[in-house]
Amino acid sequence: MAEFATLGERLAEHGISRRAFVKYASYLGSLMALAPEVSRSMAAELAKARRQSVIWLSFQECTGCTESITRSYSPTLEDLIFDFISLDYHETLMAASGEGIEHARKEAMAANKGKYIVAVDGSIPLKDGGIYSTSAGQSNLAILEETCKDAFAVISIGTCAAFGGIPKAKPNPTGAVSVADIIKDKPIINIPGCPPIPEAMTGTIAYLLAFGKVPELDHLGRPKAFFGDNIHDRCYRRPFYERGQFAKSFDDEGARAGWCLYEVGCKGPVTYNACATTKWNGGVSFPIQSGHGCLGCSEPDFWDKGGFYVPLSGSVGPTAKLVGGAAIAGAVAGLAAAAVARHRKSSLNKG
Amino acid sequence: MNSVSPMTGEATPLALAVLSEIATALARLAETGEETTIDLKSLPLSPDDLARLGELLGEGEVRCDLEVAGRSEVRETGFSGVWWIRHLGLGDEVALEEIAITFVPEILHAHPDDVARAARRLAEAVTAPLADEEETPRG
Ligand code: SF4
Repeated sequence: MAEFATLGERLAEHGISRRAFVKYASYLGSLMALAPEVSRSMAAELAKARRQSVIWLSFQECTGCTESITRSYSPTLEDLIFDFISLDYHETLMAASGEGIEHARKEAMAANKGKYIVAVDGSIPLKDGGIYSTSAGQSNLAILEETCKDAFAVISIGTCAAFGGIPKAKPNPTGAVSVADIIKDKPIINIPGCPPIPEAMTGTIAYLLAFGKVPELDHLGRPKAFFGDNIHDRCYRRPFYERGQFAKSFDDEGARAGWCLYEVGCKGPVTYNACATTKWNGGVSFPIQSGHGCLGCSEPDFWDKGGFYVPLSGSVGPTAKLVGGAAIAGAVAGLAAAAVARHRKSSLNKG
Repeated sequence: MNSVSPMTGEATPLALAVLSEIATALARLAETGEETTIDLKSLPLSPDDLARLGELLGEGEVRCDLEVAGRSEVRETGFSGVWWIRHLGLGDEVALEEIAITFVPEILHAHPDDVARAARRLAEAVTAPLADEEETPRG
C-alpha cells in the first residue's frame, strides 16, 4: 500500500491525524500570504496527494542550499515536507553510491515519467565541453538534459542554479550558466538566495504537490509569494531611512542606534526576498537586523554589482536617484498601512 | 482605552489598529457567518503591541493544548468567536500566530477520515481484545 497511499493515509498509518495538514497549510498560508480558504483547500489537497518523487541534482555549488533546507528551524512542523516527498536521488544525502544509484535515478524517472520534479542547485559550466564539473563520468550539462527530459517541472534552488550565481561571477572561468539558459521546454521555478530561505523551498514544493501547478511567478521566475516583497519596503529600519538617519560606518553612533544601513552598502532597495518578514533560523533575525546591509543575494549577478560596501547610489544602474529619496526626510509612511497590507481576509486575494 | 504596553509602558498604536479590525470581523461573523483570519506574524507588531493586544482581548472560557506535529495552543479570548492560535516549533518558538474569528477553529474539528479510521480501530478492539493479547509475541 505504501507507494500508492495518499499522504493522508500515510500519516494516519503513523498515528498522525488530518490536523497536521491543517496546521501545515496554515503555516504555509501565513508564509505565502494565501487567503484562508486557499490554505484550507491546500490542507485537503495535500492529504489527497501521493508522495512526490524529487530528483535533486547538484552541480557547481557549495552545498549551502542543501544545508539550508535540511536545517529548517522547526523540524516538527517543517519536517512534514520530508513525509510528503520521496527524495529519490541526492548526491550529498543518499547513502548508496556508484552504478546502483545512477540506476535508481533512471528507475525513478521511468516510474514517474512526466510527474517527477527535478531540483537543481549549482550552475552548469559550458566552457571546454563542460569538463569543469562532472559526476559519474557525465558532464553536468548531459545529466541535466537527460534528467529534465521527462520531468513535470524544474526547481532551480539557490542563486547559482537560478542565475549562474558565484561561479558565473566575473571572469566566469568555467562558462557557468543557469538552468533556465539550458532547459527551455519545462516550467522552471527559481528559488534564488545564497542560500535560499528554507521555507521558500519547502513551501514551493508543497504548493506544487497540493495544487499540481506552478505558483504565480515574477519576471525572474521567482514565486511571488516569497519574492513579491522588496526588502527595503518591509525593513524595520525604514523609518530611519525616511528621516535621513544613516550609519556612516559599522561602529559609529548611528550603527549603534540601529539607523539605516544604506550608506554602508545595503542593497535592500533593489532586492526581492522574504528575509525581512520570514527571517532566518525560525524567525530569529536577518542580516539587516544583525547589523549588516543586505547583499542582494537573491538577485542576478549580485556578486558583480559594484561592491557590498558601496552605497547603491555609488554603484551602477538606475538606482542612483535613490539618493534623493534618502535625503528627503519624508513623513513616515504609516505603519498602519503596512499593517493592513497582508491581512488574510476571506473575501480578498482568492488564490 | 490607553494604547500603552502593560509590560514596558511603551506606546502601542498598532494594537488598537488590529483590535478595530477584529471588531469589524466579529460583527461580520455575527451577521453573516463569514470567518476571518488575521495573521499576526505578517504584521510589524512589536512584543509590546502583542502584549497590549492580548490584554485588550482578555481570556475566555476555552483553552486547548494540541500535540500535532509539534505543540499548538488555541485560546478563546474574552470575546466569544475570537480565538488566539499559536503553533509552536522546536524550542517552543512561535512558528505561526493568528487570530481566528470563527465559531470553532478548524484545527479543533476531528476530520471525517480520521473519525472513520478510528471507528474501524475501535470496532476491532471491541471484537478482538483478547485475541490481540494472546497473539502478542513474547519478548
Ligand atoms: S536601505 Fe537597507 S537598512 Fe535602510 S531601510 Fe532600506 S533595506 Fe533597511
